[in-house]
Amino acid sequence: MVTGLGAITPIGNDPAAFWAHLVAGVSGVGPITQFDATDQEVRIAAEVKGFDPRDWMDFKQARRMSRFAHFGVAAARQAIDDAGLEIGDHNRDDIAVVVNTGGGGLAEVALGETTFQTRGPARVSPFMVPMMSPSMAAAQISIQNGIRGPVITSVAACASSVQAFVEAQRLIEHGDVDVVIAGGTESAILPVSFAALANMGALSKRNDEPERASRPFDAGRDGFVFGEAAGAFIVESAEHAAKRGATVIAEIAGGAMTGDAFHISAPDPSGYGASLAMKRAVTDAHLEPEQVDYVVAHGTSTPLNDATESKAIRAAFAEHADRLAVSSNKSMVGHTLGAAGAMSGLAAVFAIRDGLIPPTINQEAADPACDLDYVPNAARRATVNVAIVNGFGFGGQNVVTVFRRPEG
Amino acid sequence: MTDRRAVITGLGIVSPVGIGAEASWEALVAGRSGIDRITFFDTSAFDTDVAGEVKGFEPTNYMAPKDVRRHDRSTHLAVAATGEALRHAGLLGENGMVGPDVDADRFGMVFGSGIGGVGLLLEGHTTLMERGPRRVSPFMLPHMLPDSPSGQVAIEFGIRGPNMAVVSACATGGHAVGEAMESIVRGQADIMLGAGTEAPLLPLAFAGFSQMRALGTPKDPDTGEYNAQMASRPFDLTRDGFVVSEGAAVLVLEELEHARARGATPIAEVIGFGSAADAFDMAAPADRGEGNQRAMKAALARAGIGPDAVDYINAHGTSTPLNDRFETVAIREVFGEHADRLAVSSTKSMTGHAMGAAGAIEAFVCAKVVSTGCIPPTINYRHPDPELTLDYVPNEARAADVRVALSNSMGLGGHNSSVIIRRFED
Repeated sequence: MVTGLGAITPIGNDPAAFWAHLVAGVSGVGPITQFDATDQEVRIAAEVKGFDPRDWMDFKQARRMSRFAHFGVAAARQAIDDAGLEIGDHNRDDIAVVVNTGGGGLAEVALGETTFQTRGPARVSPFMVPMMSPSMAAAQISIQNGIRGPVITSVAACASSVQAFVEAQRLIEHGDVDVVIAGGTESAILPVSFAALANMGALSKRNDEPERASRPFDAGRDGFVFGEAAGAFIVESAEHAAKRGATVIAEIAGGAMTGDAFHISAPDPSGYGASLAMKRAVTDAHLEPEQVDYVVAHGTSTPLNDATESKAIRAAFAEHADRLAVSSNKSMVGHTLGAAGAMSGLAAVFAIRDGLIPPTINQEAADPACDLDYVPNAARRATVNVAIVNGFGFGGQNVVTVFRRPEG
Repeated sequence: MTDRRAVITGLGIVSPVGIGAEASWEALVAGRSGIDRITFFDTSAFDTDVAGEVKGFEPTNYMAPKDVRRHDRSTHLAVAATGEALRHAGLLGENGMVGPDVDADRFGMVFGSGIGGVGLLLEGHTTLMERGPRRVSPFMLPHMLPDSPSGQVAIEFGIRGPNMAVVSACATGGHAVGEAMESIVRGQADIMLGAGTEAPLLPLAFAGFSQMRALGTPKDPDTGEYNAQMASRPFDLTRDGFVVSEGAAVLVLEELEHARARGATPIAEVIGFGSAADAFDMAAPADRGEGNQRAMKAALARAGIGPDAVDYINAHGTSTPLNDRFETVAIREVFGEHADRLAVSSTKSMTGHAMGAAGAIEAFVCAKVVSTGCIPPTINYRHPDPELTLDYVPNEARAADVRVALSNSMGLGGHNSSVIIRRFED
């Protein structure tokens, strides 16, 4: 059961602001401000704005954490407060943290290497190693909140935080813990990551019209917009939520993971692994494909992903694919890699709660290879009982989670 | 809850003490250290100059030259160790991929790494600084993420089931083996690789650890003479830090009936896994190894056995003053009087500390211990620490009837994992 939410995103630094902007179709993409991108081929990003880590932790702690960990700690704090979860000696061993990431503290590595090359090994920060480790967002959430159950970070590139939901559901179903703080975080707005992604041909080059750059499923799409964000969910067992009188927003009903075993950065064009993951996730949730109302697409805005994903959705849902609403929040928040699944999870949960499906913005020209209902440009009122979240990572890791309206 | 059992049907390892299971195990039993002077880069600007490098490793023996060029060394090591493990398990077909008689969709992996392809990131960063953003390799990004080894291993061998890469610093390998066991017991897959890989021997990483004052001094504590092999001295009174090393280890975990049906031989069984956080400090372990205690207890509970059933502990035993003391205290707290009947050894005295691969390497050791009845020693143990009074199997391997072995792993950030491996019994 999902009982609390937290979000630091390019379109708002709390869940309510995120949702309001997502439904209104507001883009969070703009020119890069975190470094001088003049000589870069791609100069736009979906950055988090106006975030001050000291709002969430003290100055000294903040200095010894990388930005992705700041985001994670802040989002987790929001989620804990939203859920009204009190953490103390009575329960600290029975709470787990599963907060995933794609790259972790890449910024610290880049900074460390610059220091190393210009000033020598003795000037490298002793905090570099603990700051850069991808496990540090989860670890810091545990440390800052005194949580002593399992603390797990798993990496599945862009599918990382969808995997967090799958893991959270398992930890709870098997009775390992009562509560899991699940989600994802990413912050890697760095010269080296932009250079590498641009040279892969993965990024949109619409530097002059940033808000129109991310256009999943549109015929004019030319790559994704790299972003940063964090999302956190309080997931707890039904009994535990009932016992403490928590408000249940949605239920995580099932999930599945598969590997393409195909290519390190391109999806298997047949969409086999992706459709298998969707089918298995629905089965795992004890549902029929026809019961799914809304697919929160991975929808990155790359030519290959969006066509392949559309094909995979068709393969998984057959005729029902034409009755599904499919939308990509990446049209507004960009592709936040390890946080992307958490962004999609927020969209799924709010869609169920409010009966409102956020749009895919920048839909101007239909692509014959993308022939589903992508909720173009404007949010839509619709009852959503079941929503699935897709996350597909570099290396062919396909992860799908099923969210459902809570019963009763 | 379930009667699905996760048995080990294949082992693969590439480590500083040897390439391959046979060479590595032979060295560990002989008490031979894999630690030596660093050859990968110039160490003149550093205080210490030793590491556990994998010697004589030629990645093109395991991967196509084109793929070798694009991938990080952590992926090369991962692919090499996986190939050995799959061959050992009899899972490879004639084309070097998983054979057609195996359902590749029910075959997955948890392949962990502490920092992934950080070597590629640094190459990219240097290119960026010296030659500008347009010259950064388009292959850098997907090949440097910590899940790149798990992605590439799936591609190399055609493994299409659940695929994840856990990261919990130096506890990574233990978490990977434990999570792989859980996936089998819970029915999500019939075969899972539980594995870890790490290739952190880079000037920057070395500088980072050096600045943490965490590295062991390469000298003979008695004579004061330079001695690379003596830098890692777990549980010894003179221990003063760990030795960074690299490597990869892969355990093929398989559901027992599945293994039987295809005529595979179970080597051992993974019966327990526990995980807990210190919630204390980024770098230092919690007082008295409190988190480690809870991880060991959780693993015993998961295995459904009492402390008395454990015969051997492969310690995290990093050779830092604090780790070895707290781990000893934690073992005493959890095992009570039985602690004096346990054999406890740290193979990091020979392999060094391979970070995210360490837990997988040590799970490999535990599988070998229960299947061969031989316990590898803690080498470089000359000066008992009056506070550390367990049986550390000093300096020489020992024959012993070990039915149940436990492997501890702890990581920066306060991650603790414990895995329990039992001799295979019907």
